[in-house]
Amino acid sequence: MPHESPRSARAYHRQIEEALNDSFQRRTLDKFAVEYRASRDKVFEEVDGRELIRRIADVKDAAAQHIEELYAQFKTEAEKRGVVVHRAADAAEAREIIAKIAAENGVKSIVKSKCMTSEEIGLNAHLRAQGLDVCETDLGEWIIQLRNEGPSHMVLPAIHLSRQQVAEDFERVTGEKQDREDVQRLVKVARRELRPKFEAADMGISGANFCIAETGSIAIVTNEGNGRLVNTLPRVHVALTGLDKLVPKIDDALTALQVLPRNATSQRLTSYVTFIDGAGPCAKSPTGRKMLHIVLLDNGRTKAAKDPLFSQVFRCVRCGACANVCPVFRLVGGHRMGHVYIGAIGLVLTYLFHDRQIAKTLCQNCIGCGSCKDICSGGIDLPALIQEIRARFGREDGSPLPAKLASLAMKNRKLFHTLLRFANFSHRPFAGSDGFVRHLPMVLFGKQGFKSLPSLAKKPFRDMWPELQKGAGQDAGKPKLKIALFAGCAQDFAYPQQLVAAMKVFAAAGVEVSFPMEQTCCGLPLTMLGESKTAADVARQNVAAFAGEYDAIVTLCASCASHLKHGYARLLGDDAAAAAFSAKVMDFSSFVHDKLGLDSAVVAHGNEKVAYHASCHLCRELGVKEAPRALIRQVAEYVPSAEEESCCGFGGTFSAKFPEISAELMRKKLAHVTESGAKRLVLDCPGCAMQLKGGADKLGLDLKVTHISELLADNLRDAK
Amino acid sequence: MEKSPSFDEGTVARFVERAEAVATKVTRVADGAAAEKLAAEMLAAEGSEHVGVVRVAKGIADTGTCVVVTDDEETRLKTMLPETTVFILKAEDIVPHLADIAPFLRSRQADGRVSYTSFISGPSRTADIERVSAIGVHGPLAVHVILQEG
Ligand code: SF4
Repeated sequence: MPHESPRSARAYHRQIEEALNDSFQRRTLDKFAVEYRASRDKVFEEVDGRELIRRIADVKDAAAQHIEELYAQFKTEAEKRGVVVHRAADAAEAREIIAKIAAENGVKSIVKSKCMTSEEIGLNAHLRAQGLDVCETDLGEWIIQLRNEGPSHMVLPAIHLSRQQVAEDFERVTGEKQDREDVQRLVKVARRELRPKFEAADMGISGANFCIAETGSIAIVTNEGNGRLVNTLPRVHVALTGLDKLVPKIDDALTALQVLPRNATSQRLTSYVTFIDGAGPCAKSPTGRKMLHIVLLDNGRTKAAKDPLFSQVFRCVRCGACANVCPVFRLVGGHRMGHVYIGAIGLVLTYLFHDRQIAKTLCQNCIGCGSCKDICSGGIDLPALIQEIRARFGREDGSPLPAKLASLAMKNRKLFHTLLRFANFSHRPFAGSDGFVRHLPMVLFGKQGFKSLPSLAKKPFRDMWPELQKGAGQDAGKPKLKIALFAGCAQDFAYPQQLVAAMKVFAAAGVEVSFPMEQTCCGLPLTMLGESKTAADVARQNVAAFAGEYDAIVTLCASCASHLKHGYARLLGDDAAAAAFSAKVMDFSSFVHDKLGLDSAVVAHGNEKVAYHASCHLCRELGVKEAPRALIRQVAEYVPSAEEESCCGFGGTFSAKFPEISAELMRKKLAHVTESGAKRLVLDCPGCAMQLKGGADKLGLDLKVTHISELLADNLRDAK
Repeated sequence: MEKSPSFDEGTVARFVERAEAVATKVTRVADGAAAEKLAAEMLAAEGSEHVGVVRVAKGIADTGTCVVVTDDEETRLKTMLPETTVFILKAEDIVPHLADIAPFLRSRQADGRVSYTSFISGPSRTADIERVSAIGVHGPLAVHVILQEG
């Protein structure tokens, strides 16, 4: 029985609160997240991971397009070899088919090996209702069966449980005292208890990781060895899997097998990979041959295959990695990060296979950090899929009020900027002299109180521009480079000092800067809110505003940069002007380090200890890793800190929707930085700055949080 | 005159290293007779209830894997039920990479053939309780490969 999935934001927040208080799960998942990364990276060193992932994506994309041909070929080949192939349109039909196979063969008891598809269709409950004895034999699945729970991870179903809890459950079934500390002994209990079940079972049910069309064979990937017992000992074997597991050739399975175990469990290969081709000899069977049935489930898959975006789900090999690296999963656990399937793909599949209302609730809980996309065995753009689901809910159910208001306001730049100025005005009486809003009654913020919020600047950057422009790159004679500056709302209105610092650096290095006044919000928040039409309008405005001749369009906001560079193509399609615009966009660090170059005549090296926070949009979306660190090293002592690339918890509107999660991520990040001994933390994104500056202030840390532009400006020779 | 070996030492060495990395014990012997003798001794020491001796069709160096033809149930069960599996593998049958096993698999599956092929890389294992690695959950606790060079 799966856990109770949330149907409303309220119920969901209650469950999240509970999960955040589960200290065992928190510790376990923290440890897992760190160890997984390290061991996973190591086992990928010896292969070309990117290339393998690309090949898996290509094969699976093609499979999604040729699903009917593949199915027909698979069926023909398997039936040639004595297999019965069934196709189930939905969960109910799949359950019926399997119950009927059991009835026709006089089956009384069933052993199962791990099969997420059976969780998807709620198979066990159905079979038990027919009076059948059903026993899970995968250790983790058996444990959660004893507790009547659903898996909290696709590969490690019982990761949320402690050895003591497991020992208690084992005491209940065996009636014997168990050693509550010794995991090795507990494992032996499973071996002892389950062996007789295998011997007695009439039917085995397994999943299948690959269905190979050219030969009608299936491949099953396991570690425990229960899978082989399940498909060998009983006289009937039912393999249940999704249509998305069809691949054309043996070689395709072998390609995916180079990634799946590495990504799932950091293994080069699992202990067992079994290729079953046809119904082989079977002593227990009355015919002397195994009764082998393969059930291929549709349940929304062929519909997804026809969708240009969602067809990507065919690439999923169920490795579970998207959960392993998800900062939200790490905090709340799998039961709160999925319905049946867990992790980023779990959110998407809940939408495609299961319940609309649950999907709507769960899909809000993606911070958009891109870690899942970066690690996925099939290179699925999971954040974009989740984003699109939100957008669809927005279109189908009507946008929630805040999204509607934002959309309305941002369509018109002047109105939007007026509103921002007004927000500034209304904040002013509460602002401290250091630029934080501390005294707003917290009741206005609810759980937002975990960080100090910036007050909006007295004077936005765009109002300072006429003054600044006078000095912009003119004393240096002929400029080295000509750029246009894209400010982004957060810097323009909240952190103009980050841009002012950049102007100092540009001036010292001989860069001529333009600031097109018609520029507006990049539009990312609109995309995040699912307001894609207005997002496209806003994008067009910006493309037009930056039509001049520049060597680069530079922005100090990593999120804007990634949206301007990659997001616009998605929004505007093949638009030549937009493509030219996007090609010129550079983030500040890459521009300064890779294109401009700062020599020691311009900057000096100070002795400040500086840590770095790698913004999600910079390190993953834009793949910029070296440039900012090199810049820090040029002017200061760079002190590495743990998990530099993990999300700070901001995530734009996410921090307002899930403040409890946002706050935890922020605290973790700041704890790592504090441990490093750094006195300053620099970053490349005003959003991260808002989160971490505000957090450091709230926590009273002796830590200066600045943009990297400010670090550079502080170390200009002129300034010293 | 010394016969040049029929296998590539680099590939074989990688097989040994990677097999050992997944807790497989590897013993190199000179020829078939020596392999049979060692296997017989191991079987005699523990008895067939506890030891299964099986010939391996192919090895895969990159993953330290034994590829075993297990079409009949008896052979298959020998690699599942006893606590120890003893594999006999000829060095010349080791292929370097996982992808190199495709022709072998295809030859076993093509033209309507019915087959059951097992890739085995070390003993049965689990990490389902607190992610603590444990060996021998449902299958063998120990895997021993007798690597026959000649
Ligand atoms: S979506 Fe990608 S990362 Fe997630 S389980 Fe599927 S293959 Fe693995």
